[in-house]
Amino acid sequence: MSRRLSRPTLVAQRSAVIIALVVFLAPVLWLALTAYEPSRAIQSTPPLPWFVPGLANFVIIAQQFDLAKLTLGSAVISAGSTLLSLLLGIPCGYALARARHRGAIILAYVFLAIRGVPTVVTLIPFYLFMRQIHLLGTWWAVILMNATLSTAFVAWMMYTAFRTVPTEIEDAAIVDGCGGFGAFWRVALPLVRTSVVASALLCMMFAWNDYLNPAFLTRAETRPLSVALLTAFGGPTTSSWGTLGAMAHISTIPIILVALVLNRFLVAGLIRGVH
Amino acid sequence: MKRRTLLATGIGTAAAMTWSRRGWSQTKPFDGMTLRLACVNDQYSPGIKTLAERFKQESGVTILVDILGYGELQTKITTDYVGHTKGYDLATTDNVWAPQLAEAGYTVTLNDWMKHDAEEMKLDDIYPVLFPALGNYDGKQVAFPLAGYANVLAYRKDLYKAANLQPPATMQALVSAAYKLTDKSRNQYGWVANGQKGAACAQDWMQYLAEVGGVLVQDGKPTLDAAPNVKSLTTYRDLFQKAAPPGAVNWDWDGREASFRNGLAANMQTWSVGALGYFDPTQSKVTETAALMVTPTATGMKPRYGIGGWGIAINADIEDRRKEAAWAYIKWITSPEIHKALNLLNAGSFLRKSEIHDPQLNQKYPFLPVIDESFTHGDPDFRPRVPQYPQIQDILGTAVNSALVGASSPQDALSAAQTQALRYF
Amino acid sequence: MSFRLTPLQRRSIFLCLMAAPAAIHVAVFALYPILRGMGFSLFQMNLMQPWIHHFVGLRNYTDALTDPTVRRSLVVTIIFTVGCVAAELVCGLCLALLLWRDSAFNRFATTLMLVPITVTPIVVGLIFRALLDPSFGLIGYWLLQAGLAPPQGLLGDTHTALATMMGIDVWEWTPLVALILLAALKALPADILDAAEIDGAGGTRRLTRIILPMLLPSLFLVLALRFTDVFRTYDIVFAATAGGPGDSTNLLMLLAAKEGLTFFDIGYGSAISILMTLCIVLMVALLIVTLRSLDRRMNQA
Repeated sequence: MSRRLSRPTLVAQRSAVIIALVVFLAPVLWLALTAYEPSRAIQSTPPLPWFVPGLANFVIIAQQFDLAKLTLGSAVISAGSTLLSLLLGIPCGYALARARHRGAIILAYVFLAIRGVPTVVTLIPFYLFMRQIHLLGTWWAVILMNATLSTAFVAWMMYTAFRTVPTEIEDAAIVDGCGGFGAFWRVALPLVRTSVVASALLCMMFAWNDYLNPAFLTRAETRPLSVALLTAFGGPTTSSWGTLGAMAHISTIPIILVALVLNRFLVAGLIRGVH
Repeated sequence: MKRRTLLATGIGTAAAMTWSRRGWSQTKPFDGMTLRLACVNDQYSPGIKTLAERFKQESGVTILVDILGYGELQTKITTDYVGHTKGYDLATTDNVWAPQLAEAGYTVTLNDWMKHDAEEMKLDDIYPVLFPALGNYDGKQVAFPLAGYANVLAYRKDLYKAANLQPPATMQALVSAAYKLTDKSRNQYGWVANGQKGAACAQDWMQYLAEVGGVLVQDGKPTLDAAPNVKSLTTYRDLFQKAAPPGAVNWDWDGREASFRNGLAANMQTWSVGALGYFDPTQSKVTETAALMVTPTATGMKPRYGIGGWGIAINADIEDRRKEAAWAYIKWITSPEIHKALNLLNAGSFLRKSEIHDPQLNQKYPFLPVIDESFTHGDPDFRPRVPQYPQIQDILGTAVNSALVGASSPQDALSAAQTQALRYF
Repeated sequence: MSFRLTPLQRRSIFLCLMAAPAAIHVAVFALYPILRGMGFSLFQMNLMQPWIHHFVGLRNYTDALTDPTVRRSLVVTIIFTVGCVAAELVCGLCLALLLWRDSAFNRFATTLMLVPITVTPIVVGLIFRALLDPSFGLIGYWLLQAGLAPPQGLLGDTHTALATMMGIDVWEWTPLVALILLAALKALPADILDAAEIDGAGGTRRLTRIILPMLLPSLFLVLALRFTDVFRTYDIVFAATAGGPGDSTNLLMLLAAKEGLTFFDIGYGSAISILMTLCIVLMVALLIVTLRSLDRRMNQA
């Protein structure tokens, strides 16, 4: 975009973005702040936003939880789910976009329909299935489960993205001796980079935040942060906002950092020259 | 008390105990085994996790503790039992699950073992009411009592004094005190209970109903819309609308406990397990003014003190040797010294008369005499103990909440509930 | 004997091989459990009472369709879904357009805007339950004092609870919509970008005439995804109101999860879930038809 915006428009746009950001960030900030608040101040009436800060809650969760192991669990599950989903979903999306067969459309909609099946139906059969193949309690069980939903998502994202890429360039590349896979890898894929980055980001976030599947499919040693987050909050007769807030730090900051890094690749999609 | 100091005290006590003569240090029959315990996320779970270390030192058995939320725990262990996946050897079980577990036979029936080891376990030191209350149905003890809670009334003695009222001896007195102690201009409310739809409001209302003599299941059939029940729900609704803090209709345990700890509410019926928090200055603003007493009952009624809590059950699917090891763990965790150590780690869940009369614990928990009274005259049946309990609780959860928010009248709500409940009987 | 394939056939095989891993994975790890789950729905079975296990055909489905609670819940769920998706689409599109220009500020803002979806949905429900509480909430208390909230709080009043819940869902998921649309916008050819800058008069026409038609595939994706996901909302609502007050936020997923995973009436729970899937399929089909006709109309203009 080469044309500069007029100053008032720029100010207006930026103000709108800032207002949106405040709305999105304030509640999460509130949760993060409870980590520093003493327990009696968190739910007080009338509620006031100031308090005497302290680090007691962080000490508590450091003692109660093996934070390193939990983070490792979350990281493995997220990375594994994302990689697997991308590996399966991107080629599939490409095939769906390029196929002329009726079957492709049907497959695409089957993927979508599968996302629409509530977990109630699949939870127990999947649990028993994982036990049968001796994967219950491992990270693999969660990765495989996440990948089923995320693959459908990635396939659709890429299907939509590849559809906007004109076929002429690929056909030319194939004629030049690139081969089918070469045309995909070297010509088509770079053009849909933004969709790949967005898909990866979203897959990662879904996997990082998922609660129900890991709660069910993992055991004490393979627990990720998302499950521990609720343990930090408490149960039927106890609840502790402070420890939840402290835990929320650990479970939110890494993902934001990764998002920051990945976002650099979400740059404007100019059509570069084809090699 | 700081967590570290508690930990130090606990471990110090443990160290002192190693010199006592116990069978463990000599023989370690299950050395090297690993047992999995599914534990609910409640007040005593951090203590259980901490003490697992000690059990390992004493017996060589590793206990892997999985702390789960209530819903997840229930779904996960049921799936484990149904699918015969043997994922968990031990599980904490809510007292209301006992009828279903007994009928389905998913957990080991402990009666014979208990009889055999009665002397070793000092069973007569455990309050008798806890056995039927925390894991027994139809004579079968399908879970051993682990954590006993008494339903008590927490109240503000300063507010009562200022209004020249005596702490309530009857339900009628409690209701009238609730109205008298409500002063919206001073942000003071006389009553608080769970109002949120579902288990939250159902449980609190069932407790209230039991204390005014209401009956929900009679001769194996539901009697949800009996006239006394409707009357009690009407009184309950009025209390919510006139004497409860704003937002109470959407509160579960978290909200109502916070309202008492923050000085918003003058009366609250609650489980004793959370009471330690009221006297903790880092959590509560009413450390000096809160007090506990036994729950009042209707005039002329025999006192009915609600008993709740958790039992610990052994998976019936696992091999016999593992069952024995699991039983050994149960014997250990409920033994006088260890259970006391658990309570020194803030568990607040009691089993034994020796605990209630222990001077160290009395210093930590100033309200133990109230629990003594409640346990001694406790009523294990204040909530219907039938296999259809989850459905009844949920049906009532909808009906009570609907009446509290004014979506339907108490009569209509309970009639609809009765119709629904009949389907399950 | 060599066997020559035509280029077309080779391409077809290549494409099949590209799609095969995903298809196999989904067939094994999704379709198989789903079919087993669907099988449960044809039985009357209760996990807590394993002796009850007999084939009842479609009775679970007819029971669900005639249950007044299920029907009311269906209405609530449809209102919730349509409202949330519409709001998310509008807000997400606006946000994407605002962040379209490539600048350091916008890149940073894009990352920050993703924060709501980094929080587990259950925790989101808990956060808003706390914030909107009329006794303790930083927002709820002051709203009540200012007279802008009903006496029991926004989440405690049957008239406002559903709308408030929808607001919460929109808060959490608008960034997702914005990100997907932003990725699509950034993938648009460069010469279009200059022509379509929003800078005042004529901007909206450029938007509707040029940009939206090019975004149609992504819009479809976003709408299909969100319809599918919002219809199945569970965590946020369960944490904030547990389906209350009354029946006002009782979504179908809450019912299905309660029947299947709390009462262990897995046959009935699965039946409700499959009915939900059918609703979603219907909604998406409607969406396809609507967008196709829209596409046709736009191409004619």
